[in-house]
Amino acid sequence: MNLQLKGAEKLEGTYLFDLATSAKALRLNRFLHGLTVAANRALFKDNPEAAFDKAALSAEERKMVHDLDWAALIRYGASFFCLEKLGRVKGVSNPEMVAGFRGESLEGFLKTRRVPGAR
Amino acid sequence: MATILGGIGTSHVPTIGGAYDRHKRSDPDWAPLFRGYERVAVWLEDKKPDVLVFFYNDHASTFFFDHYPTFALGVSEIYPIADEGLGPRAVPPLKGHAGLARHMADSLVNDEFDISIFQDLPVDHGVHSPLTMFWPPAPDWPGKIVPIEVNVLQHPIPTPMRCWRLGQAVRRAVLSYPEDLKVVIVGTGGLSHQMNGERAGFNNEKWDMKFLDLIARNPKKLTAMRHADYIRLGGTEGAEEIMWLAMRGALSPRAKKIHQNYYLPMTTAMAVALFEEPAVKPTSMKARTGRKTRPSFRTRAARAGIQRRFQP
Repeated sequence: MNLQLKGAEKLEGTYLFDLATSAKALRLNRFLHGLTVAANRALFKDNPEAAFDKAALSAEERKMVHDLDWAALIRYGASFFCLEKLGRVKGVSNPEMVAGFRGESLEGFLKTRRVPGAR
Repeated sequence: MATILGGIGTSHVPTIGGAYDRHKRSDPDWAPLFRGYERVAVWLEDKKPDVLVFFYNDHASTFFFDHYPTFALGVSEIYPIADEGLGPRAVPPLKGHAGLARHMADSLVNDEFDISIFQDLPVDHGVHSPLTMFWPPAPDWPGKIVPIEVNVLQHPIPTPMRCWRLGQAVRRAVLSYPEDLKVVIVGTGGLSHQMNGERAGFNNEKWDMKFLDLIARNPKKLTAMRHADYIRLGGTEGAEEIMWLAMRGALSPRAKKIHQNYYLPMTTAMAVALFEEPAVKPTSMKARTGRKTRPSFRTRAARAGIQRRFQP
């Protein structure tokens, strides 16, 4: 138990990235982190299944990445900062990803923001 | 001897760099952000520091969870710009001050801060996103940096108190460097935001304002808080504020906050605060002693309010 985090587990809709999560999703996060390399991006764009094979992703992991199911990816244990790489490759902005986490449309989410044009 | 002129606390959201790159200075949606950095840019232009020491976090761009350093000090002459999925941002590679960084490594480790060392690795938006706002390349960067990476991604992350103490150790390291360098300390990250789960998009302006007050007036209070408090008040990624604590720990208690700006347009509260150390006045020294010599390191350190843990 990390005493620094005691109480944080009570926060709803919050997924802390700790060592257990990191271990569970290491393969998935390594694939996402790998998108910082141009050759991996090219393979993912040209032949996603080959990229998934290379990263040895499970069927569940492949489906979440393929569907860009941001909420499921976060719940599974993806690091937001690794997901950002997938967002960039697929042309999805951070506000759109955040809307996905919240189960909202981008338009719905932007209505809750002070300056919706600041993207 | 090296001196510390002051410090900067700043958010490092990638869109800050994006707004700069897309020339959004006159866009009403972005103008309040640009205006907030102008005072900092003018201050740096006036003070002309040689080096910015940067407490920042990598975003799983350079480092990965197979070996994620809690604290890591960059000791290179040059840092490439990291590819974060779109190819590297079109800014020049960052220039490092290897001499100061190597000295800091010796000083920190001998001061019982056993920090990881990295070299020849790229640096991501945690450093260069805010940097272009106040130290823009024209066409090259105005000076050099020393990057210090802090793990704020994978718990357990260092405690707020540990970050404060790292700042104090960095102060001892910088002030004991024999070359006459002018140094400014930068702490990046925050303020309130959360980038996961249904609570994503969480902000807390009231807490952000309190943080901006306490970081200047009573930082010790912030060191006594736990991560669970930071996460509750400022969101999971608001916990990045511990890097501001490292910056503040590297300043003297007499440093004054002379500027701040706060802008919350989208998901992350974008703040900047500028801290200035009291000027060391050689003329008053001259008047008192009748000598033109510069006061010793120990005298200046004492004036700046720091205590060395180990007296030689």
